[in-house]
Amino acid sequence: MLKNILHTRPSFVLLLLSVTAVICIILFMTLGVKGQWDFALPLRAGKIAALILVAFCIGISAVVFQTISHNRILTPGIMGFDALYILIETLALFVFGLNISGHIATSGMFVLEVAVMTGFACLLFYSLFSGGVRSLHLILLAGIVFGLMFRSLSAFMIRIIDPNEFVILQDRLFASFNQVNTSLLVISIVTVALTSMIGWRLRHQYDVLSLGRDIAVNLGVPYKRTLMLTLVLISVFVSVSTALVGPVLFLGLLVSNLAYTLTGSDKHRYTLPAAVLLGVVFLVGGQTLLERVFELTTPLSVAIEFIGGLLFIYLVTRKGRV
Amino acid sequence: MNQTARSFRSTLPRFRQSLLVLLSLSTLSFASHAETISVQHAQGTAQVPIKPAKVVVFDLATLDTLRTLNIADVVIGVPETPYPKHLSHFQEASYTRVGSLFEPNYEVVNQLKPELVIVGGRSGPKQPDLAKLAPTIDLTVNQENPVSNVDSNVRLLGKIFDKEAAAEAELKKMHDAIAALKQKASGAGTGLIVLTTGGKMSAYGPGSRFGIIHDVFGFKPAVTDLKESNHGQAISFEFILKTNPDWIFVVDRDVAIGSEGQSAAKLLDNALVRKTNAWKKQQVVYLDSFNWYLLASAGLTAMQENIQQLSDAVSAHQHH
Amino acid sequence: MLIHPGSNPLTSSYRLLLLPTIFLLALSLISISIGVGDFSFSHLWADNDDADVWQLLVISRLPRTLALILSGMTLAVAGLIMQMLVRNRFVEPSTAGTIESATLGILLVTLIAPDTPVFIKMLVAGAFSMMGTLVFMALLSRVPLRSPYLVPLIGLVLGGVVLACTTFVAYRFDLVQSLHAWTIGDFSGVLQGRYELLWIGLLLALLACFAADRFTVAGMGEAFTTNLGLNHRALTLFGLLVVSGISATVVITSGNIPFLGLIVPNIVSLLFGDNMRQSIPWVALLGGTFVLLCDIIGRLIYYPYEIPIGTVVGVIGSILFLTILFGRRNRA
Repeated sequence: MLKNILHTRPSFVLLLLSVTAVICIILFMTLGVKGQWDFALPLRAGKIAALILVAFCIGISAVVFQTISHNRILTPGIMGFDALYILIETLALFVFGLNISGHIATSGMFVLEVAVMTGFACLLFYSLFSGGVRSLHLILLAGIVFGLMFRSLSAFMIRIIDPNEFVILQDRLFASFNQVNTSLLVISIVTVALTSMIGWRLRHQYDVLSLGRDIAVNLGVPYKRTLMLTLVLISVFVSVSTALVGPVLFLGLLVSNLAYTLTGSDKHRYTLPAAVLLGVVFLVGGQTLLERVFELTTPLSVAIEFIGGLLFIYLVTRKGRV
Repeated sequence: MNQTARSFRSTLPRFRQSLLVLLSLSTLSFASHAETISVQHAQGTAQVPIKPAKVVVFDLATLDTLRTLNIADVVIGVPETPYPKHLSHFQEASYTRVGSLFEPNYEVVNQLKPELVIVGGRSGPKQPDLAKLAPTIDLTVNQENPVSNVDSNVRLLGKIFDKEAAAEAELKKMHDAIAALKQKASGAGTGLIVLTTGGKMSAYGPGSRFGIIHDVFGFKPAVTDLKESNHGQAISFEFILKTNPDWIFVVDRDVAIGSEGQSAAKLLDNALVRKTNAWKKQQVVYLDSFNWYLLASAGLTAMQENIQQLSDAVSAHQHH
Repeated sequence: MLIHPGSNPLTSSYRLLLLPTIFLLALSLISISIGVGDFSFSHLWADNDDADVWQLLVISRLPRTLALILSGMTLAVAGLIMQMLVRNRFVEPSTAGTIESATLGILLVTLIAPDTPVFIKMLVAGAFSMMGTLVFMALLSRVPLRSPYLVPLIGLVLGGVVLACTTFVAYRFDLVQSLHAWTIGDFSGVLQGRYELLWIGLLLALLACFAADRFTVAGMGEAFTTNLGLNHRALTLFGLLVVSGISATVVITSGNIPFLGLIVPNIVSLLFGDNMRQSIPWVALLGGTFVLLCDIIGRLIYYPYEIPIGTVVGVIGSILFLTILFGRRNRA
């Protein structure tokens, strides 16, 4: 009996999450349409696609990163990516002025941003993982330090740009899901799909990897190669999602930890989909609440930061008591 | 009327093909309105119906100009944003909220079925997206040539709404005012533009967002080496004392806190600034921040009020 | 009474302090001589009626230099105290939610009552940062398995939550840019009459010096502290009061200076180990020197315009810190 429950719990949780996610999506698609279905549905479908893509990128990258770094607290999102994004955006606005907001620059900007962020991520991860001593301390601190450096550079530029330019910058700095550019969405989906193929080929190795490096090597996992490919995958995922909608700092932390807790399993065939589904629930559900129920103009990322942060703190302290 | 647009939108390639959009728009407009005109705007040309009765405006400067030309009653949708005093009646519930300046609520815009959508400044980048719903023109004012841009925008609106005489009259008023101000300003001494925010200051020079004070209104810049750029430079009080301007033009970024210029005045009231000519002659002017940066001084009334404020300030001191 | 610090290494280390003190004084003189206004030391003693030079010195140069030294010293000491109390190398006011809470306090009081005198604003900011830090400590006490990296992470997340609240309010009132300007450390607005609150910070830091040994003990844990006859709770509260007070005075005067509380104590502990009484003067001196140096650089690079010290410290501090980190790792 007990065995049976333990066996079915992750699948049950996945089922439950899928249902919740579908409900959120349906609510998002249908609330407040006011009769103009043929207009609203395609428009909202585009937003949904972006939200799901971001949920996918953040969920997968967070769980996989935690697997290869053997911890459950670090996520790639807290590694200074948001600050780098802010720096790139601020710098672009600083140098090019208001012209940057012109439509023509957007795809170019996007590709450039993804490239720079992926490069930074690969460099950071590579230097930290290849050095033999893989200390979480170092990864975390280096991330925080880079974040602080990027942030203080942006702060200087923000201090002296004129208010009009700042408002445009502000618009781009807060993660926003209401104005996803569809042409960027296509580029993003293609990039993510291509990168996902790497992950798909490696999928059987992650459960082994989570047992620790030595065991994994003994069991015949090509450790270094897997690690490097995974880091590339994570870098691309995080960069694409950040460049597409803006930084969402604590989402990865939130969904990965909830996924472990809810499924009660560390098998990746459960935790990965659970994390993605949780991401969908949070993003789509959150956007529905914000946009349709409260009709707030506050960016969703601010709300997620708040709720995600609180939930994380709750999780950490609760875990401590058990 | 939206049949073409709808079928088109559903098959719309995700990569933007503005040419096709434009073509489809023109056929669509011709179908519903006998009279349309081809209009040149900041991002290309558009076919716009003459005297449209249902207009959605995302650009505060355009709202300002429409109000000045007495054609505000065609406006049905406005963005959700703080409004300056002279535009406050757009906050009434009779105007539909069509999203923020940055994020148009496309569903609401589509529901309103406007005959014309006007964007500008911050909403400018959304022109291609909105153009899929209705003819959309971008009236963003280029900071390099603000006055001639205001001219062409006002004339354009006059043409679209058949108010050309009124437009010309207002423009003449504006240019006369500028000429008069320029004459007064040329002998008024040097000026320094200072933006205050969070207890800190930056200086702006000619060619910047607020550079119109030097470039068009003719106040001599107190510092000549402030590079021509959109952004300012972080400065100290010693810098103000050293440049010793005859006029200090203050833009208070923190207007939300207290009343206009209050926090800026507190910031500037210190032993060093008190020693400058500007302070001694009481020639510190707190600019109306709504008019100066929310409207980017591009609306007709905003522009006229700006000129008036500076003109009054100079006149007050010429009688001394 | 209970702890007798070894006297020999102490006296020798105090003698060693002479050198950095002289260096700090020399930097102060350089700092005083830099600025946009016309000023040189020779003018001060030249026998002319030019009162302007003295005025510039008293109104602008001296206050700025003092403010820099005070902020640097007190923030570095605040970082040290936090690290002692939490027993974690990587905690400082900006990785514990303290600075973010102070900022939220300032934003709220500025919005609700813009005419509040600065002193009251500081009290409010202090109260907020105290609350934030208390929450941080309370959270930590509920995480028994305190892995070292978890501690700053909890602080960062807590800071993120508070920052989200601040951003929410600022966004509503179109004050996000002003918020950025507040929070980035920048001494360009410092004048006589506008920095004196920092002396309160110095007072707090001095008080902390007297309690230095006790903080070391408090860091050892409640049981250990109680065994030595000290009140752990009171000590911790006092430590938090000092840290919050210092953070509030600095944030309200100039904005945040990142890293300082992190980097300076870490360098000092590399040099001298973990005896707090011994390291406090070093931490203070080094903090003041570092801030002074960074501000001088920020004033010179782009003369006559300025680069805010927050940016200079952010960049130089990051590079320094990463060097230390990786240097440590290579040796390990």
